[in-house]
Amino acid sequence: MANESMRVLDPIGVPSVRPQQLRKVLSGLEGKVIGFIDNGKPNFHYLVDDLEELLMQKYGVSSVVRHRKRGSVPVGDAAIKSMVDQCDAIITGSGD
Amino acid sequence: MAIEVCSTAFSGLGRSQAKALGYPDLPLAVVRHPFGSLSRAEIRWEAEECMGKIAAFAKQARNDRARPPGGGTDAVRLIAVADDAESVNLLFRERQWTDGLPIVPPTRERVEHMLSRSGYMPNEFIARVAPAFGEATAESIAVNAVMAGCDAEYLPVLIAAVEAISAPEFNLQGIQTTTNPSAVWLLVNGPIVSRLGMNSGINCLGQGNWANATLGRALHLVMQNIGGAIGGEMDRATMGQPGKYLFCCAENEAENPWQPVHVERGFSANDSVVTVIGAEGSLNLNTHSKDALEILRIFAETLVRPSGNDYFLCGEPWLIISPETANILSGEGLAKGDVKRSLWEQSKLPARRLTDVDLNLTRIRRIAELGEVTQDTMLPIATAAGSIGIVVCGGPGTHSMYIPSFGNTRSVSRKVRLNAYQTEP
Repeated sequence: MANESMRVLDPIGVPSVRPQQLRKVLSGLEGKVIGFIDNGKPNFHYLVDDLEELLMQKYGVSSVVRHRKRGSVPVGDAAIKSMVDQCDAIITGSGD
Repeated sequence: MAIEVCSTAFSGLGRSQAKALGYPDLPLAVVRHPFGSLSRAEIRWEAEECMGKIAAFAKQARNDRARPPGGGTDAVRLIAVADDAESVNLLFRERQWTDGLPIVPPTRERVEHMLSRSGYMPNEFIARVAPAFGEATAESIAVNAVMAGCDAEYLPVLIAAVEAISAPEFNLQGIQTTTNPSAVWLLVNGPIVSRLGMNSGINCLGQGNWANATLGRALHLVMQNIGGAIGGEMDRATMGQPGKYLFCCAENEAENPWQPVHVERGFSANDSVVTVIGAEGSLNLNTHSKDALEILRIFAETLVRPSGNDYFLCGEPWLIISPETANILSGEGLAKGDVKRSLWEQSKLPARRLTDVDLNLTRIRRIAELGEVTQDTMLPIATAAGSIGIVVCGGPGTHSMYIPSFGNTRSVSRKVRLNAYQTEP
């Protein structure tokens, strides 16, 4: 085997750098508006039903906003903006 | 603030994608997989567990910043390795940069040669590739082209394909992360086909043609390396399929009695065009009939299957029709549009053949298109007949092919940008 060094290029290329943004501090749930992005997979809407009930009754959340997306398709920019404008925190679903 | 609820099988995807997008500390609340199989009481238990985690996350005063993924460099990195094939391949295996097959070492010289006649500047931005949304430049695409064994003349085709897979309607995010066996079928039309010596005829989806093989392989290497879809991590395919190594051919325009795909889509016959299709596999359609109506009936009956995403999700199924069969259909006066209409009409699936769970999903997903779906609804395979793709490929024989789609995807065509050198006679 040869010992001299070869230089090869990394096939991952240039990692994308997104604008840095501070994550909003929540400091508890009371009085907050919580959003759910339902991934449209079986049973997730039941989980959202139960979490909504718990959030409202046990944790004093003021309201819950829901958006149901088509499974395996990203949420559109307009829907994301609407959720971000309305909510203090957003809970998304992933998986089956 | 954001929190992600993942089923256990998807927690790796959740963590990997959050990290790739610059949010390595995104809180994840993990629930049991498969969540869709849990009883109502089990869901309630999971909800209470999950609620505890959400409440804990909400109490944490977080002020961490979104971080640039991967350390945030602005140039393709050079890596030193011992100058022999074994050492290079070992390095690429260890870093999960190959598809499992040996690669050609992407040295600076080889990458520069790959770019030299392309007309692209090395740092020219092409697209962000899901699910990691890595930045594909002409140079980083060229690195993967070298690895796959592409000739330098192929690069503009590969770059056009990367542009196409990154179009929003293609939904590469879904294709790369789904449990479905989704591959990208790369179809090439126009004068570039003969210029590169691509195979559009006999065994066009099989082995043996350098351009078909290396272009198809390079596209999937780009998806894995720049897109970050490593099997078992962000790529969650239950089984995958052989087309994830490569899936590429050209249309047999010379023996096609109809308009080729790129002309059907508004390009000039003299344009060189790539089309990418989110394909779930390939199924032989074999009939020895020479009767057009019989052929269409047999094809349509084969499309009908209650396990098909095209029915749940309203997809974009494709048929590759052999020249022999295309000429029988055309010879009996059928235009391509007539074939699509006939297949669309005859392939409707009675909704009652779906399982209850799948019928409920179909109701939700196709309500805007079909209104209320009942057991008596006849489900079309696509929104409209025109959404069925038809292309003529292959050599002599009675074999055509059904390419089911992933469903949540639409094919995308892009013109190949060729410079004067590449178009001269």
